[in-house]
Parts: sequence; C-alpha cells; structure tokens
Amino acid sequence: MSDSTTVSPDPAPVAGSGDRRSRMPSRAGRRRRAGRIGQVHPLVALLWLAPALALILGVVLYPAIKLFDASRGEYSITGLRKGDAGWDNYVKVLEHPDLGTVLRNTVVWVVAVVAITIVLSLALAQFLVKSFPGRRFVRWAVIIPWAASLVITSQLFVLLYDYNYGIINHILLSLHVIGTPIDFLGDDSWTMFSMVVVGVFVSLPFTIFVFIAGLGAIPDDVMEAATVDGASPWQRYWNITLPLMRPALMIATVLNVIYVFNSFPIIYTLNDRNPGYLHDTTITFMYKLAFKSQEHDVGMSAAAGIFNVLLILVVVGIYLKIINWREETSR
Amino acid sequence: MRSTKQSVVVAGLAIAGLALGACGGGTGAGTAPGGTAGGTAEEAKTIKLVAAEYSKDHTKAFWDAFAKTYHEKTGYTLEVQVVSWDNIDQQSSTMIQNNQAPDILNLNAYASYAKDGLLYDSDAVLPAVVKDDILDTFVKYGTYQGKFYGFPDLSSARAFFYNKTLFQQAGIAAPPKTWTELEADAKKITALGGGKVGYALPLGPEEAQGEFSMWLFNNGGDWKTDGNWVINSDKNVATLDFLKKLADEKVTQNNPARTNRADAFDLFKSGTAGMVIGFSPLAADLDKDKKVDYAVAPFPSNDGTESKTFGVTDYLMAFKKPGNEKAVKAFYNLYYTPDQVNTFIKAEGFLPVTKSGVAYFSNEKALQVYLNTLPNAKLTPTDDPTWDKVKLAVQQNLGGAMNGSPKATLDGLQRTAESGG
Repeated sequence: MSDSTTVSPDPAPVAGSGDRRSRMPSRAGRRRRAGRIGQVHPLVALLWLAPALALILGVVLYPAIKLFDASRGEYSITGLRKGDAGWDNYVKVLEHPDLGTVLRNTVVWVVAVVAITIVLSLALAQFLVKSFPGRRFVRWAVIIPWAASLVITSQLFVLLYDYNYGIINHILLSLHVIGTPIDFLGDDSWTMFSMVVVGVFVSLPFTIFVFIAGLGAIPDDVMEAATVDGASPWQRYWNITLPLMRPALMIATVLNVIYVFNSFPIIYTLNDRNPGYLHDTTITFMYKLAFKSQEHDVGMSAAAGIFNVLLILVVVGIYLKIINWREETSR
Repeated sequence: MRSTKQSVVVAGLAIAGLALGACGGGTGAGTAPGGTAGGTAEEAKTIKLVAAEYSKDHTKAFWDAFAKTYHEKTGYTLEVQVVSWDNIDQQSSTMIQNNQAPDILNLNAYASYAKDGLLYDSDAVLPAVVKDDILDTFVKYGTYQGKFYGFPDLSSARAFFYNKTLFQQAGIAAPPKTWTELEADAKKITALGGGKVGYALPLGPEEAQGEFSMWLFNNGGDWKTDGNWVINSDKNVATLDFLKKLADEKVTQNNPARTNRADAFDLFKSGTAGMVIGFSPLAADLDKDKKVDYAVAPFPSNDGTESKTFGVTDYLMAFKKPGNEKAVKAFYNLYYTPDQVNTFIKAEGFLPVTKSGVAYFSNEKALQVYLNTLPNAKLTPTDDPTWDKVKLAVQQNLGGAMNGSPKATLDGLQRTAESGG
C-alpha cells in the first residue's frame, strides 16, 4: 500500500510498469490511466509543474534559506550584520535561562487549547447537525469568531478581562461570586487560563465545521442497523460515530496543533502587560528575542525560528506516525 | 501532439509570467531605496523618510505637506513612510538587515546606529545655524563620542498630574511637595473608597524606564554618573523600595508591575486615579474629554528640594548613503525652520527642541510648567549605545521588583549594563 502510493506521483516508473499492472482490477486500472500522463515528455510534465515548483521555491524554500542564513549571522541591535556567528546563536537560545519556562508554556498552551477545542467541538457539532428552527443562523454565528481578525478578537478579550472596567469582573462582582475583581491577565495563576479560553474560542469554528462534515459522511444505514440491533445511544456514539469520525478527528487535531502552536496574536496581545517570558510560547519568545527583549538580536531570533520549525515538524511527524500505526493495527 | 505543443506554450507563458512577476517584485524592492544608493557619487534626487506616527490625525498630514514644500523649495523629492510606534523598531531593523535603510529615520534611539557607523554627524548634514539653535540639553544627549548624531525632532517633559476633585474630596489643600506628602495624599484618596486609586504607577513593559526615571531623578539618583553605570546605587534602591512600599500599601492601582502607561492614563482620564505622571499629550486628551478637573504641578522630590523633570526626545537621524548628502542637508535645513518644526510640535502637542521654539511657545499658558523645566530636563543616557539594551532590560525586569527584591532587580540591571547589554 505505502509502496504504490510513493511510486505513483513519479510519472516515469509508473508509465513503465503500466503494462505489467494492466491485468489488475479496478484500483490498478485507475492508476494505469493516471500513468498515461507519463507518456508526455518528462520536460513537458516539468513545465506543467513549474508554476507550483516556482511557488514552492519562492515562498517556502527561499525564505527558509534566508532564515537559516540569518541564524548563522552576528547582528547588531540595529539589525546590521557584523559577521558570521557560526552556531553561537543556537547555543545562546539553548542556554537562555527562560527557555524551560517557554517550552513548558508552549506544551500547556497547545495541549490545553487543542484538547478542549476538540471535546467542545464534538459536542457542538453533534448539536449543529440536528435540524431545528434557525439552525442556519446559529451556524453563521459560529463562523463569526473565525471571520474576525485574531488581533481584534484578542483586543476585545483584553477589554472583557479588564480588572477595572471589564464586563466579566463586573458580572461576577454583581452576582457576588467574587468579592474583589480578578486580574485575569496580570495574575500569574490566571494568565494562561485566560489565554487558553481565547485560543479555544477562535479554534472552535474551524473544528466544528470539520466535524459537521465528518458527521455528515457517516452513512445513515449503519446507524439504523445499530438501532435495530438495540444499541444504546451511547454505544452507537462510542462504537460507530467516533470510529467513523477518525479522519475528521485526525485532520482537526493536526491542523489545530499547527495553528495553535503558531498562534502569535492572542498571546502577544493578552500578555503584553507582563514583563519577561513568564507566559510566552516559543513563537512570541522568538519575536521578543528579535525586537522587545534586552537581547534584541535578529540572529538569535532566527535560530529560535529554526528550532520552532523543527519542533512542529517533530510533533506532526510523531502524530502522523501514531495515526498510521493505529490504522495498520486496526486492519 | 498538437495539444502537447499547446501545453508547452501555455506552460512556457506561465513560467515567463511568474518569472516576470518575481523580477518585478525583486527590482521593485531593490529600487525603492536603491534610487538613492545607485551610483557611487551620483547625486540622489529622491530621499526616503521613515517617520513614527505620533497621532493618526496629524503626523501623516504634516509630513505630506512637508514633502510638498520640500519639493517646491529644493527640487528634491521626499518619499514619506509613516509607521506606527508598535512596529517601527521591527521595520527599521528589517530595513537595515536587508541593506535598505531609509535616508532619514525617526526613532527614539540613535546611539546604536551611530556606533555601527551608519549615520552622518552634524558636520556633514546639519547647517551650523540649526545646530546652534538646538537646545544645549539635546545637543548633549545627541552626541556620541564627540560628534552630534541624534538630531531631535520634538521633545516632551513629564509633570505631575492630579485630580482636583479627588483632592478636594479627600481634604488635600495643595499638591504634595515631598514623597512623604505624596504617600499620605495617596492614602487619603484611596480611603475615599469606590475603587479610587491614590497614585497610578505604571511599571509594565511599555515605559517602565520613564516612570522610574522621574522617581529616581527626584531622589537625587541617576542611571549613569561620570561615565559609570550606577543603576543599583543606594539612592536608586531606596527609590524602588519606596515604589514597592506604595504598591504594598495598596495606594496604587492593582498590580503596578503589570500596568502599562496607557492603562494608567486611562485610570486618570476616567477620574479613578488621583495622581499620575503625565505629559502634554495626556493634557490634550483631558482637555478634549473635559471629564476630569485636573491640574499640573512639578513632581515632588523625596526631600522637598527643587523638582527635576524627566525629558524625552525622539530623533531624526540621517543614514550615510552615497550621494544623498545634499538632499539630506536640505531636509534638515527646511525641517528646522520655525514654520515647520513648530507647526509639527504644536499639532502633536509636544514641546520644542530649539531655542527659537521655546520663544515661540512661551506665550502658551498650558505649556508653561513644562517649558520652564525643559532646558534643565534630565534625560536617560540615550547617548550611550548600551542604554538601548539596558532600556529594554528595564522594561522587561523592573516590574519584577514589586513581587521580589528591589535590590536584586537593580543589581541584575546593573550587571546587564556593565556587561554592555
């Protein structure tokens, strides 16, 4: 399975092996037809691929090379390159006294936001596939946090959370839930919680819609059969809905991990009053290294950027591996 | 086969299009500043200014009008790019990193740029009459290693703002003259209840160095004396101890370590805070809102001696680029004419940087309290490139003293400064 999928995008070998596979039934037949593209001269194929290749080179590869180049340079506070730094910038990042805090924050932030988002979205998606009057409007309403710019949403939450005038404190005070206002953004024990709430809020729409699509793809007859066999709603959900939702769950988790890991505006906006790196994740850490901290060092920040890329690649790699392994063992 | 040929043509066109697009982007980015940096001795006809946005309403309007006058009077063209304060550090750093420095950059620091050898000094681009007109304080703080690089565009001086209504309610007759009085007054105002804040103390990352400068100058302290860093001097530790005491007594707003200046101003503007260190733009906002009955006074000193003002100036620095010298000189010549510089400063609500400007503004009653102190204002050591890093360290670390030890915090900053940032 994995062999044939890796071979097929490469036109030449598939064209050659086309005849050999011709007797294979439907699946291989499809592949053979696809193989005909290879009968066009490879250069022509390359021409067709060129726009995409040019984009990848220009948008992904070139900046990556520049980033790597910057990470190996010694920069003045003004941004002037003074010479080569070798691996010094990497060492400085790894030796940074706050790196441990930052990494811990990153893990808490990503795991908390993604886990809470997935659980809440599963429930909300279940609710939104049921038909009820006004469902269309509720679905629209769900999209709004997605459509709004992250900076605006974050700024809105800064106002909601405010110690002196924030509406959340106002409500809690008037309901006598609390005696004195809570400093949601300035109190160290609350800051991460407050940021996670916003992170979940903006991640919900996308995740819900992935799940709605996933739920829509579950065939009704399977459900009916289960009902006829006397399965309880909980059994149906646990044994049929969830397993069939696995592709949607996987997409939602991987994409959310990447989005949330890379999320800059929420943490930057909600955390801007807090000195140091107490609540920063690796992304805002990278930014502060370059422009806000006493280091003010573009090279060090670029090195941190390289670590970021590696980190997310590793996380995604591990996740895909787990999913793959599960799929293979379940068959 | 025909279709293959067609596809080749289409693909070829697509690539050509992409390549053209890419080239377009490349040359576009290259020529923007390159128009000036082109030949070695060829004279630049167009120069670029990157200016900081002091206000949405006035900054761009002023520089656009200025560019027009500049073109009419000198024949050179001025490209203006206005950048918000939030972004300007990042933008200027990126420009220099990519070898695309503007000809003139408006920023709150210059010494690091001078140290990197990127700037023209006054001998090259500042007409002698202009240099003579600039206030001596600003020449002093704009001088790095004997040469004047940091040409001030405008200045501000901090003063003590108090809410007259709250003072009256708390039975306080006059603004405090000493810190003991200030502390007592803050207690009285806080005791009014209803969430009133005696003194709004912003030690958050936005401007911690500004707030602390005002306090430490008025306790006879300083950041640097005779060329040596004295951040953890006894006087400065005593100053920070006093601020921590105010916070611990809860006569400040909640969590001063995590309060930015803008938030402290909001507290004062809403009539919640009794006292705050402000400057002329805050006064302009208060006058517009007409919600708070306030007055401005000199900031009290610890022992009641004469008050010292913390002054701030931003800079218009000139980058060395082949052939741009004349155009840049023409720029400064025009900017420092009383018509231009004073119009700008007046519109933005700041203070003058020239002797002629002080005379020009002398009949403005509201500015009196600042103008009197301006020639003797103390600045942070902006003439030392190390300060550019120390400032950032202060912003990120000073607030930590509110939950920890002021002495340890200042010791840490002293070490940062001594090790060159």
